[in-house]
Amino acid sequence: MSYLPCGQYFESYFADQKWWRTPFIKAKMIFMLVIVFALPHLIASEWLSVFYTINYYILAALGVQLLVGYCGQITLGHAAFVAVGGYTSAMMVLFIPWPTFMVDAGLVYPISIICAGFTAAIWSVLFGLPSARVKGFYLIMTTMAAQWITVPLVITQYVSQIGGRGQSFSLPPGLIKIGPWTIDDDTKIYYFSAILVLMCMVVMGNLLRSKIGRAWIAIRDNDIAAETMGVNIVGYKLLAFFVAGFFAGIAGAFWISALFFVSPEHYEWFYSLLWVGIILIGGVGSIQGIVFGSAFVVIIFKLLEMSVMGVSDFVMTSYPELGWITTKIIFFKESAFGLAIIFFLIYEPNGLSYRYWQLKNYFNLWPFSYTGK
Amino acid sequence: MDLFLQLVVTGVMLGSIFALVALGWVLIYKCSGVLNLAMGELTMIGGYVCLGLYQKFVTFMPVNTAFVIALIGTMVVGLFLGLLTERIFLRKMIGEPILAVIMVTVGLSFFFKGMVFIIWDTDTQVFLPRIFSIEPIVLLGVTVGSVYLWSFVAALVLMVVFVSFFKFTRWGLSMQACADDEMAALSLGVSAKFVYALAWAIAFMAAGVGGTLLGNINGLNYSVSSLGLLVLPVVVFGGLNSIPGAIVGGITIGILQNLAGGYLDFYFPGGIKEIAPFIFMVIFLLFKPYGLWGWERIERV
Repeated sequence: MSYLPCGQYFESYFADQKWWRTPFIKAKMIFMLVIVFALPHLIASEWLSVFYTINYYILAALGVQLLVGYCGQITLGHAAFVAVGGYTSAMMVLFIPWPTFMVDAGLVYPISIICAGFTAAIWSVLFGLPSARVKGFYLIMTTMAAQWITVPLVITQYVSQIGGRGQSFSLPPGLIKIGPWTIDDDTKIYYFSAILVLMCMVVMGNLLRSKIGRAWIAIRDNDIAAETMGVNIVGYKLLAFFVAGFFAGIAGAFWISALFFVSPEHYEWFYSLLWVGIILIGGVGSIQGIVFGSAFVVIIFKLLEMSVMGVSDFVMTSYPELGWITTKIIFFKESAFGLAIIFFLIYEPNGLSYRYWQLKNYFNLWPFSYTGK
Repeated sequence: MDLFLQLVVTGVMLGSIFALVALGWVLIYKCSGVLNLAMGELTMIGGYVCLGLYQKFVTFMPVNTAFVIALIGTMVVGLFLGLLTERIFLRKMIGEPILAVIMVTVGLSFFFKGMVFIIWDTDTQVFLPRIFSIEPIVLLGVTVGSVYLWSFVAALVLMVVFVSFFKFTRWGLSMQACADDEMAALSLGVSAKFVYALAWAIAFMAAGVGGTLLGNINGLNYSVSSLGLLVLPVVVFGGLNSIPGAIVGGITIGILQNLAGGYLDFYFPGGIKEIAPFIFMVIFLLFKPYGLWGWERIERV
């Protein structure tokens, strides 16, 4: 990332600080963009749900990466902020009597996404306040408390009861409209998610290379040293919580368009842990790591699910007397997932983005690579 | 006033179980610096192992003997499981960043939970025939279920055993030394690996007994593992590396939880009893970030 090939010089700071500095990087990125947008035509449509789930995890894990990987504030309660975003958006779409011209123009859902971002951001800052005084383990505690207070108590007991429909709000098809497009099939959901992910990544990448991002990284590396250098650490920590909460809110608001309903089970503590797991698997402190981690986790889930289906079909047809296995097989899946996380962390502690970096270095000098032996 | 006294007394007794489990948690943290999020699953495993052993033994033994033997058996199983867990999973994580270690314990909790449900199913199971009579005992004008009283006694006895192990035996002293200053302990010939293994074994044993006692109170199912999260407010209250803190914190959180269930439930219906310790914890952290007796970390650039 930080080096250039031989013979490449820049004559201005502007050229040096560009996102895509060499023609090769430019070509690579354009190729990737083409792949992202051509994807629905390249693969079978039942696989699209896998890809927009990856995009959802990327969106949610962006905030976690910002807090953990760039600002050093460990959070184990991010699902709470995603939940706040999802519920805000759903309730704005459902319960506010919007004027008809806004509904027809498809403005309601986009407005609700922005509002969801801000609500989740404020909620996140509220639980980030203790970070002014505590850090490390104690901050983990307060963010976990955010999860417990938000999802099982506030949302399940109070918010879900609004409108008297029981546990979940369902959004009838056709309600979620962005401008002229109604989000109703997998292709549209996929495009919507891809655009959101690209926008959020551009925002995050730009934040990280500005003064704000440098302040966050200084706080991560050593907060006392950062304070002596004149960085307002409380302000920047809270700003990190704000931005992370904003991304979480957008993720939540997006996810209701894919699910067509919203209910507390989608924001269990498991997901908070999963998103932290994603950034550890992908690599802490790297934006591409989020993509690798999300893809890894979603694909592992999908493979486990498919193998579970295959195994239970096989057992049912061949050994009907072993039918008890099929009822327990979901727990095998859970155990296998736990083991996968553990062994990944033990044997690949730097994450997938480190492997990617090694691979890039290898091919950069190929075929005369220097192995270091 | 009667209700208040009632709630406080049962709170103390329930809290003693929390204290026992928190003790195991604090031991792991003190000795090896691992923040263990799998404590709830350790409790659950202990409860189910004891149930399995009890159901085997009770067929040819009187009820009380069978239970005591099953409890001892649980502790032996816990010992071996603790040693195994430390050796296979945690040993390799020494020196890794704190978050990676936490995620390994989270992975462990998924793994253990899946395993428990594979072996024992998800339905609520109870200790049958009953070990403790349903007849409540009147104690200083307060009626207490006998299972609470016996849990209190058992938790107290075990805590005394663990604390005296920690204070007076050679192994306990080496654990203390390691917790105090790992470098100095290593240079004096204390084996850090042995200490870590011992800490995990003790945590498994304490959690197993805690799970058994809770299983006797409410029946065994997944909700037993919520204790693993309740341990966190307990240790935050007492201070992360303080054993008396864990005990005092456990009892305080027990009382607090019961009081919240008794009084606040009327105003905030639904789960306030489970959430109250966490709300208390956040507020407490704002004022006393290192708990009652935790070590204050002095940082230098």
